[in-house]
Amino acid sequence: MANNAEAAAQPAVRLEHVSKKIGRKTIIDDLSFDIYGGEVFGFLGPNGAGKTTTIRMIVGLMRMTQGNIYIQGHSIKGDFKQAIRQVGAIVENPEMYKFLTGYQNLIHYARMIPGISKERILEVIKLVELQGRIHEKVKHYSLGMRQRLGVAQALLHHPSVLILDEPTNGLDPQGIHDLRNYLHNLSREEHVAIIVSSHLLSEMQLMCDRIGIIQKGKLIGVETVNDFIEKGSSKVRIQVDDGRLAAQTVKDKLAIDAVFIDDTTLEVPVEHEKIPVVVDTLVVSKIKIYSVIAVAKSLEDRFLEVTGGKSVE
Amino acid sequence: MSNFVGLLQNENMKIYRRSSAKVMMIILLGLILAAGLIIRFGSDQPKSDPHWKQTLIQDNKVNQKQLAQMKGNKQVANYLKKTIAINKYRIEHNLKPSPGETIWNFMEDAAGNLILVISVFTIIVVSTSIASEFDTGTIKLLLIRPIYRTEILLSKYISALLFTVVCLITLFIASWLLGGLLFGFGGVNEAHLVYDHGTVYQSSWTLAIWKGYLLNCVSLFMTVTFAGLIASVFRNGGLAIGLSIFTMMASSIVITLLGRYDWVKYVLFANTDLTQYTTGTPIRDEMTLGFSLAVLAVYYILFIFIGWAFYTRRDIKA
Repeated sequence: MANNAEAAAQPAVRLEHVSKKIGRKTIIDDLSFDIYGGEVFGFLGPNGAGKTTTIRMIVGLMRMTQGNIYIQGHSIKGDFKQAIRQVGAIVENPEMYKFLTGYQNLIHYARMIPGISKERILEVIKLVELQGRIHEKVKHYSLGMRQRLGVAQALLHHPSVLILDEPTNGLDPQGIHDLRNYLHNLSREEHVAIIVSSHLLSEMQLMCDRIGIIQKGKLIGVETVNDFIEKGSSKVRIQVDDGRLAAQTVKDKLAIDAVFIDDTTLEVPVEHEKIPVVVDTLVVSKIKIYSVIAVAKSLEDRFLEVTGGKSVE
Repeated sequence: MSNFVGLLQNENMKIYRRSSAKVMMIILLGLILAAGLIIRFGSDQPKSDPHWKQTLIQDNKVNQKQLAQMKGNKQVANYLKKTIAINKYRIEHNLKPSPGETIWNFMEDAAGNLILVISVFTIIVVSTSIASEFDTGTIKLLLIRPIYRTEILLSKYISALLFTVVCLITLFIASWLLGGLLFGFGGVNEAHLVYDHGTVYQSSWTLAIWKGYLLNCVSLFMTVTFAGLIASVFRNGGLAIGLSIFTMMASSIVITLLGRYDWVKYVLFANTDLTQYTTGTPIRDEMTLGFSLAVLAVYYILFIFIGWAFYTRRDIKA
């Protein structure tokens, strides 16, 4: 695309001090962040944190009490048609008309946006591999097929912002793999901004470039997936001849709270750069070292760490 | 504009692809058939009367006598005057009254009762169209398109009213065909005699039937709009269907009971039956056609505005 550089300057989706109050309760509290074209943005948070409410405000299904949301520079409040035109979405489950066929469902949505050709509809059907059963009624579809039909309707009009709530729900491992590849292609090649929310954290780790964590309606942080994981305190697991002595030594000499795991193993919470210092100290103290393993942290560990391991309040 | 045609196509697809639409059409046709068979075979068709002019003169003498004795009851007096005038017109113009049921009589009878059925069907259609998308969750995918909620609601309302038109055309064609088959197509060219403020003139039966449809549809139109309002406000199809059918059925009884109170004329259902100004008697003497039309307009604007405000403003949590 020619206007990549230009598009990159302007965020595809911008949330500005967005708040939502229902009655006296504040559901969303002063949320601000940007999402750019060409990235897959993961929206993380425990149940009830406000993920779905935020997504509903982005697509105009709910009104915000304060603030504004811009999609490609168009306000969803003031310029709804221009803003929503850029968006393809599945909000929660892909609920389609069950008494219509998959094809009739797509025709239905195609009629609502000008410029969608019959070829485009067929192209999208092929993309989600529903060619064989597109003329069957949706009530006979499996959850995975409905999910794929949902993706198809979201892609019909070449959106520059794609919002998928729990997109891997109901897909088999092969389907998840294919979807992941497809989303990567969309973001890299067509410069689409993709917002994904999921409870499957391992899935998010593979799929997303950046993630935003929301808890109790507040944004805790927006970071790249790698930064996010590495920022967490890393740990090394060291195998020695005398675990008890080694743990005591590290505590005494380096003032690090090493954990004695068993007779021959200890775990030391230490930053990456300081691992040699720990090893040196142990060597000097004549402790025999058999192995040093960095304990990799998953997004899930980090997520639980950040959100305090709680789900619904 | 082409966009709005697309929306109507969508709503029509969602109305007619449901199995309930087919069931409604079958019920409608079944009821027309049942009515025809009952009228045709339930009673003996009287034979043609060769001395019909004498019979009519006799009838009119009796009617005149009754009219002279009448005091107060305007409705009956009007009916007698009308019968006398039409009988006179028949004698003068040599127009023999058809014995028993004719194709046109049958259509007139069928219209009166079956438009009530069509009202119920349209109430179901409009309530389902507006409210069911909240139950199934499809409303979320429907409203995230570059189309204002006002346009969506309007397309649902209009397509429901188009459903009424489809039903009326079905009713007209089916009752014409059945009427012809059961009572003979011979009566097709018969003139329709209209009594209007003391004078009688000839008119087309087709026109008269459609005029009847239209007058009966005033009540349908208001009740369907009311159902749409309830469906928009409460997002509950069952409630909208139940409440509007109940209101429609109960209204005539309640209005009759309240007839002696002055304020009854401001009640919606005291004004939906416009035949009270053509062939009947107004519920209260001071009511006029213009008054009823004004009352109907006020209710209509109120229904539309409240329904619209709720549909377009409230958050979608489905």
